[in-house]
Amino acid sequence: MSASGLLARRNLTRNRVRFMVSVGGVALALSLTLALDAIYAGVANQLTTYIDRAGADVWVAQAGVKNLHMVASWLPDSTTDEVRAVEGVADAMPILYATDTIMAGEERAVVYVIGLPKDARMGGPWNVVEGSGQVGRGEIVVDRGFARKAGVSIGDTVTVLGGEARIAGLSAGTASLINSVAFVSFDDFRAMRSGVPVVSYVLVVVAQGASPEAVAAAIERRVPDATVQTAADFSSQERRLVTDMSADVIAIMSAIGFIVGLAVVALTVYIATLARRRGFGVLKALGARDRVLYGVVFAQAALSVAIGFAIGLVFTWLLGFLVARTDLDLELAITAASLVKVGLFALAIAGLAAILPIRQVAGLDPAIVFRRGVAT
Amino acid sequence: MLLARRNLFRDRTRFLLSVLGVAVSIGLILLLAGYRSGVYRQASAYLDNTPGTVVVAERGIRDFLGTSSVLPPNAVGSVAAAPGVARAIPVVSQFVIFERHGRKDGFFLIGYDTAAGGGPWKLASGREPTADDELVIDRTTAQQHEIAIGDQIRLLDREVTVVGLSDETTFWAGSIAFARISTLESLLRAPSLRSFLIVSPTAGTSPDALSATLSIPGAEVLLKTDVIANDRKLLARVYDAPIGLMVAIAFVVGVLVVGLVIYSATIERRREYGAIKAIGARNRTLYRVVATQAFIAALAGAVVGIGLAYGAGAGLMAWRPQFQVEIEPVAVGVVLAASFLMAFLAALVPARAVARLEPAEVFRG
Repeated sequence: MSASGLLARRNLTRNRVRFMVSVGGVALALSLTLALDAIYAGVANQLTTYIDRAGADVWVAQAGVKNLHMVASWLPDSTTDEVRAVEGVADAMPILYATDTIMAGEERAVVYVIGLPKDARMGGPWNVVEGSGQVGRGEIVVDRGFARKAGVSIGDTVTVLGGEARIAGLSAGTASLINSVAFVSFDDFRAMRSGVPVVSYVLVVVAQGASPEAVAAAIERRVPDATVQTAADFSSQERRLVTDMSADVIAIMSAIGFIVGLAVVALTVYIATLARRRGFGVLKALGARDRVLYGVVFAQAALSVAIGFAIGLVFTWLLGFLVARTDLDLELAITAASLVKVGLFALAIAGLAAILPIRQVAGLDPAIVFRRGVAT
Repeated sequence: MLLARRNLFRDRTRFLLSVLGVAVSIGLILLLAGYRSGVYRQASAYLDNTPGTVVVAERGIRDFLGTSSVLPPNAVGSVAAAPGVARAIPVVSQFVIFERHGRKDGFFLIGYDTAAGGGPWKLASGREPTADDELVIDRTTAQQHEIAIGDQIRLLDREVTVVGLSDETTFWAGSIAFARISTLESLLRAPSLRSFLIVSPTAGTSPDALSATLSIPGAEVLLKTDVIANDRKLLARVYDAPIGLMVAIAFVVGVLVVGLVIYSATIERRREYGAIKAIGARNRTLYRVVATQAFIAALAGAVVGIGLAYGAGAGLMAWRPQFQVEIEPVAVGVVLAASFLMAFLAALVPARAVARLEPAEVFRG
């Protein structure tokens, strides 16, 4: 370690309380941004779970519909046959979809209701932990977490789509912060929605060797008024829903985290420098150049920020670990992009926070060392 | 008191930084609380501004925003014919994602009957939709996406013309847009679809009495106030955890900042404290000095922080008009109390340092 680094470390760690406050403050401020990023990234992950696990290579939706969350997509019943006729399509199956409220006793929750045809080959629950994954008339598969909260189990009745359904199976991994996914029979869904001959999405598996992109393009050419996307594109559109719609909130909160971090580091480095100004005076009197002293001050700020960043990261990871063990259905996902952003934040904080104390050192009179009453 | 003030003001930069630290944390707490209140206020804007006190929804649905309600076919006729009903506004609602300039935005699309009501309550310019390919959108959204009256935008599988711009219709996940009911029926391929009925009771009938007597098979009859409360609960699920986390972090940062400043001021003046102890001052007197310093720093920080929150809120609303920040007097009271709690917690460590001080300290070099 360089002489500046050693001095900086000594200055910082000499007073443990001050050091802990400094590092703790930075850690908290950076956690603010890290945790928020992680929450949104986690929500984006959860939002695409159904798309990622449905088993389809290509999704066909109403023209202009590129998402699943909260939206509506209605295609004529005939679309499925039109899709099946396209070259490169190995299998095509319709699903019905609506965002609704599921109710059992006093428990209510937002739910994606998926209407599944008999013997569904895709789009059904992917991890059935109890009962059956196949839904017959009058039956429903609900998320295990919802069933636990509502105190219901296999054979009990829930209200959904304005009617009632008996729980035939419980699935895992089908809940997010916002909603869970429930599966009912296609015929029930259609009957509950006035029997109009429409479908929401057509799920497609492409023939062996065929490219999903090419098949998607072929379907879009052949089927009128439809938007056709590969599962990967559909999933990325769904992620963009979170990133686009929360971009402003994240920007504001990140700015706030930055200001809080800056205030804390500036204050602690300033106080640490103030407390050691006799030391800096001695160095100056001995002929140390200003540049060396500035290096010490900057190293103090950088050290606080680096340790604070590491602690903030561990704190956020720990928070995610603990939250995953609660009933919150909240996932915290720390992404590389977020780490880079917060790392750059930290660097900027260290640089800016050092400005005030550097000015203080620059204006220091070496004769200070001979005065009494100056704190050591 | 004099001693406390002298200790605190001796280094002005340090004092100002400590005030700034507290101000930032208090301002942040207040801004977050104001943002949350604004989100809630915006969430209930449609129901608040649409006449009626009772809402009829699909069975099992008790909120307005989160789900796609589908009323049974006979609901409209049954409600209109029921005693005690003066007016029933039918609406179809659907959340749609709209994309322009490569950015996704949400429209909470309301289909309404221009004769029955339920449309935009504050039309800033233009007119209400009179044909199926016409739409009224929020003025702020229009500005952001550079849309003017007469422009065509894509709504699901068709092009529609913007004929009016409304105010007060920004929304936590986008904005409210208005079209005729028939537009939504055709967009959603659902003829005669009705999502909700917003009902006004006749004079002399209370909303409670009407909701108790109105019984529609396959439908829920709810008080509008309850629906608004349920929408808030839905938002709280999404918003309260992150906002709560940030408020907690801001609070701890505030405590740390005040604590650090008072601690440094105390440690720096420990010779003086030792001298006071040596001439017989009790620990209680010294605690008072430390606590007074903490309270002065916290109070000054709180006052600046409140100003900061109002300023930042106004700046935020000017930068992004879709955000509404409503700082409520109760929240101001709560953060003032929080700042005193910060001061108390922040004074604990320095007070211990003072209590441990040996009077002999004064005689050491």
